[in-house]
Amino acid sequence: MINEEKENSAGNIENGSSKLNQDNKKFQETINVKSVVPKYRQELLKWNGWGYKDCRFEVNAGDVTSISLTGNRYPIAGKNLPHFEGWVKNTFNVDLVNPTLSQALPEEDKYPKTLLIAEELVRIVRLNIPYSLRGVDRMLRAHGQTLHDIFTLRNGMFERIPDIVLWPTCHEEVEKIVELANELNIAILVFGGGTAVSGAVECPVNERRTIISLDTSQMNKILWVDEANLVACIESGIIGQDLERELKALGYTTGHEPDSYEFSSLGGWVATRASGMKKNIYGNIEDLLVHVKMVTSKGVLEKNCQVPRLSCGPDFNHIVLGSEGSLGVITEVILKIRPLPKCTRYGSIVFPNFESGVQTMRQVAKWRCQPASIRLMDNEQFKFGMILKPDAGLIGSLIDILKKLYLTKIKGFEFDKLCVMTLLFEGDEKQVKEQEKRVYDIAGEFGGFPAGETNGERGYMLTFVIAYLRDIALEYRIVAESFETSVPWDRAISLCANVKQRIAQECRDLSIRHFLISCRVTQTYDAGCVIYFYFAFNHGDVSDPVATHHQIESRARDEIIACGGSISHHHGVGKLRTKWYPQTVSEVGVSLYNATKNELDPKIYLRRII
Amino acid sequence: MNLNDYEDILEPRRFDLSHFFWCSKKLNSVIAYKQNIKPTPSLLKEAVLNDPKIQKFLEEISREKRIPKDFLDAQVRLILDEIGYQKNLKIIRLLGLVLVKICLKVCEGIFVNHNSISHIKSVMGSCPVIFVPSHRSYADFILMSLICFTYDIEIPAIAAGMDFHGMWAMGSILRDTGAFFMRRSYNNDTLYWTTFKQYVYQLVTKGDLPIEFFIEGTRSRSNKSMMPKYGLLNMILKPLFLRQVPDIIFVPINISYEKIMEEKLFSFELLGVPKPKESTSAFFKSLSIIKENYGSIHMTFGKPLCSKQFFGEYLDTSRRSTGPIHEQELTERDKSMIPSLSHEIIYIQQKMTTLYVMNLIALLTNHNLTKDEELLSYDELKEKILWLKMILEKFDANIWSTDIDSDIKKAFEVHKNIIHLTGNRKIDIVKDHVNLANIDITKLKGYHLSEKVMTQSVPFVMLYIYINPILHCIVDAALIVIILKMYANSTSDSIFQRYHFLRNLFLYDFVTYYTRIPLDFQKAVNICTNFKLIQINSDGKYNLCENQQNLVEIFISSIEPFLYSYFTTLQILETYNRCDEKRILVEVQEKIVFEMEHKFIHPYSLNLDSIAHCLSSLVLSASIKRVRGDNGVAYEIDRTKVSMVKNTLEPYILKPHLGKTIHNNVLRNKL
Ligand SMILES: Cc1cc2nc3c(=O)[nH]c(=O)nc-3n(C[C@H](O)[C@H](O)[C@H](O)COP(=O)(O)OP(=O)(O)OC[C@H]3O[C@@H](n4cnc5c(N)ncnc54)[C@H](O)[C@@H]3O)c2cc1C
Repeated sequence: MINEEKENSAGNIENGSSKLNQDNKKFQETINVKSVVPKYRQELLKWNGWGYKDCRFEVNAGDVTSISLTGNRYPIAGKNLPHFEGWVKNTFNVDLVNPTLSQALPEEDKYPKTLLIAEELVRIVRLNIPYSLRGVDRMLRAHGQTLHDIFTLRNGMFERIPDIVLWPTCHEEVEKIVELANELNIAILVFGGGTAVSGAVECPVNERRTIISLDTSQMNKILWVDEANLVACIESGIIGQDLERELKALGYTTGHEPDSYEFSSLGGWVATRASGMKKNIYGNIEDLLVHVKMVTSKGVLEKNCQVPRLSCGPDFNHIVLGSEGSLGVITEVILKIRPLPKCTRYGSIVFPNFESGVQTMRQVAKWRCQPASIRLMDNEQFKFGMILKPDAGLIGSLIDILKKLYLTKIKGFEFDKLCVMTLLFEGDEKQVKEQEKRVYDIAGEFGGFPAGETNGERGYMLTFVIAYLRDIALEYRIVAESFETSVPWDRAISLCANVKQRIAQECRDLSIRHFLISCRVTQTYDAGCVIYFYFAFNHGDVSDPVATHHQIESRARDEIIACGGSISHHHGVGKLRTKWYPQTVSEVGVSLYNATKNELDPKIYLRRII
Repeated sequence: MNLNDYEDILEPRRFDLSHFFWCSKKLNSVIAYKQNIKPTPSLLKEAVLNDPKIQKFLEEISREKRIPKDFLDAQVRLILDEIGYQKNLKIIRLLGLVLVKICLKVCEGIFVNHNSISHIKSVMGSCPVIFVPSHRSYADFILMSLICFTYDIEIPAIAAGMDFHGMWAMGSILRDTGAFFMRRSYNNDTLYWTTFKQYVYQLVTKGDLPIEFFIEGTRSRSNKSMMPKYGLLNMILKPLFLRQVPDIIFVPINISYEKIMEEKLFSFELLGVPKPKESTSAFFKSLSIIKENYGSIHMTFGKPLCSKQFFGEYLDTSRRSTGPIHEQELTERDKSMIPSLSHEIIYIQQKMTTLYVMNLIALLTNHNLTKDEELLSYDELKEKILWLKMILEKFDANIWSTDIDSDIKKAFEVHKNIIHLTGNRKIDIVKDHVNLANIDITKLKGYHLSEKVMTQSVPFVMLYIYINPILHCIVDAALIVIILKMYANSTSDSIFQRYHFLRNLFLYDFVTYYTRIPLDFQKAVNICTNFKLIQINSDGKYNLCENQQNLVEIFISSIEPFLYSYFTTLQILETYNRCDEKRILVEVQEKIVFEMEHKFIHPYSLNLDSIAHCLSSLVLSASIKRVRGDNGVAYEIDRTKVSMVKNTLEPYILKPHLGKTIHNNVLRNKL
């Protein structure tokens, strides 16, 4: 950073880097962002599940069971969901009675004792950085959002949790922590939003050294916004919704919107190579990132300029991107920003079958006329989506359209085969119109028919609600998890079919009778697409449902890779997918990673990927 | 075998007032592989033509040979029309009607293990399903379709040889009931094979019918299993290795016939002589089929074999996923995995063989006739059948028998052209004079056998057609027995060494796979020991037991003709550095015929199958090399290796033959 001037930040310490541009271009000064999520997360968020405490699916057993989402944060909140119960019964053979409730938040003496020794504590306190030794704070930073994590929270306790939580508020404080850790031989786990679904946040069970959880959440300032170059410099702890809210106020957006963006952090995105829903317009995190600072035990890795592109040996940004907290701590990131779009419109298309939907996506990608988002749900997913329709009136809409279409033109449609595509268009009015026309024209060639804006909009609204379903599923003995991959176009359809079939086979072998496997295509690229699978089953009398789920998912990943898919498109390797890392990157790739690790983190105070 | 596992599909038809109702029943057939886009015969063909791979290939030829692309497209269309199956429900129903009528006339029952079928139906729907029946008769085709029709399984797409394609009416009827046609593999027209392979690829990946093919490639003339062929199987499995289908399920099926329609034809073919034309026209001849009694037919459906599971981890780890999918081919490693699957299928088919009392009678009668002994009386026969049945069951044979007396009676009725009771109620074979007057000598495959030799040989060969199905059960024991007979007091290791040699030499006659050989050996040793056929001494050495002389002889007699054929073949080969195949066949037969003049040599030794099998196995062991000669196939012979094989085999060529001359004379006098 070239900024020299310092400025007081909200905390009692000095903020290291800042702005100032002598030119007369508009230059936004540091914004001290007040985050929606408090420092003690559990005050707002569930300690044992997904999202806000006041949002959960609730079953009211009356004369007629009614199910609804509590709170008032999401559009469907408070509305009765009449199709929910029947679908659950049909799919999982589950009656919504006798929920298996979570244990209560453990008492302070129930957490694994801290391994921190007095000498270390003294040194840490001397850093003058806020910290906590409380069990609950430590436990909440010992996990992400995998099935295993949530199941453990509800029913047990992690074997190993961090010994202390530190909340640095700026780059320099991170440097101090890293220096001290190196000196005292203490391990560090970087914690951003804790939404990882790869096992990357979990503590290594056999780490006998002290573990610091470095929570970036208090390091969340927007240091400056450069409107001439359309970039902003942001501290890595900021979470998506805060960032977007603040930028929106200035008339901008990053356009980076992963489904977890309410809670996941900028540092987390960079560290996991995250991908946002609207990447077609704005790009993935690697496209958005212009400059990044990473604190390593050898010092700070960064470039000397903020340029759009650079021909200068291997691009070390790509050592930072996807490093999953194993090479250093990301502290500040310069991201591209865009003016807010003038016009946003939704859309949806029904297809007679999955194949024609995929063919449409392929064509759309071929002509590069993707709207901001284009997604294709398979038949199971389409039916599953309907359980979140508040009342019979609304559910009518899509069915009515289908009926009308059925009578007029599409006799060939079968309810058990049809698929729905949802679309999100952004731009100015004219651009949106043009895009709409092209996409609907292409769809028409493959037998697809527009099914209205509302259905599209609903699809996107539900994106954030779906994550809440797992908690209620667990209450009724259903374990669920999603996993994703990327695949070349010519292997996409067979990959989907084979993975579904493999899972069905594995379930059969394990006598699991009631399960759901469904998929959707969530992103398109020139050379391929992204497939997102949901897999859930009624674990009835399976003795270790989490291990069983993991085993099946692992077989599914074998299948994915054999079918030409990847280890992951955006969730990352973490702990869950290390098994496939060597074959993915080659043996030379593994040594290259190890060499980098040895160079930047010789004492391995950070976790390692492999 | 458990009789209750089987039901006779003809039974309900016997009570139909009119079969018409049954044939026009509402079809609710189970399909193999549900597709989102319902395939039709013409869609499949279109897809083949439009496949990027085919298109690219055509463009290449067009450029290289300066042939207009449209012309090539049209060529491919023609080829596809030759290959492609059709589906005509009316024909299927009509055929069903005719078949049921015929079967009711000529069969006592078509027995099917129906529970297996229900199980198979229950696993169908989510991936390609391949029916793999054994192939002993043309009737196999038709029976499979009849069974599918009866049990509400979609009639399969059936791989058929081009010989059917040419047959009047038959070709189009078969096509309408789902047959697709494949040319013989020695044709190497690349355009044809590229198209055919792509057709199979489409059928597997985008088709929804079960697929049926005969893994042995052709009908087995000898009524025992043959070496599997890999060509079509490779094509079928390619989409699995490329991960274009979730799995492929194979259903091994054994079809056993109490009497084979083609028995006479096969006997002549085995001897290398075209079957003499019957005097009546083909039409009246075909009517005469309807007068015959073919006894029972058993169709045993095996457990579905999931190839994904069979190949296991290999499938998940074998491939790098770069490059367009349509450019991918099976790798050499993939191909090396496939034989084990095909052998597994053959093995299961063998194990599911149903034996009839006739097979036992054939073995016993043959043994009796090749020994210098009185003919068997009815009571002796009956006693021996019961004894033999008990033994064979120890060797896992499935024997269809309800009431012994009526079974024997039926066997004599159904096979009255092969065996009969003489005036004094002794069992003998039927000897008809063979008239070779109007055969076409140019069509002879081997030595020009005389009418006398033919007349003497045909009944024995016919008998062997019914002995052969037993051999897979007892060949291991028979080899162990014959080894111990020559090398008494042997350790298990030395027996195995010799067994291993023989098993490999006879690999094509008694089909097995190298991984099975040690297992089968151990199993046979155990059974033989338990059964007190062989015994182990305190010093760990094995010997034959004294008191099972009769069984020892029967076992040995069952494989003797094979030993003799192979031995003679080796003797002939030893004299050449290089020789045409045709010439080998001629000389081997000639030598055997010559020997037959002097002593009793079993006429089945003349069968050309065994000679050809001997050649194949020598090729496999690199003792000889198959090359293309001026008159077809020829062999380059490594004489040292061949001599070594011959010398190792020689001790088993039993001397007792000398003593048979008298009986042989007896036989000859009877003619
Ligand atoms: C419901 C749900 C929806 C999701 N949807 C998406 C989606 O649409 N697209 C997508 O890409 N992902 C998605 N994810 C996955 C997850 O949200 C992303 O991986 C996200 O980038 C993680 O960010 P986080 O701040 O929560 O990181 P955390 O979970 O806290 O950490 C993830 C990893 O990054 C490391 N890390 C975090 N911050 C830093 C830092 N400052 N410096 C160095 N290392 C750091 C951690 O050590 C850890 O290894 C989803 C997850 C859930 C639960």
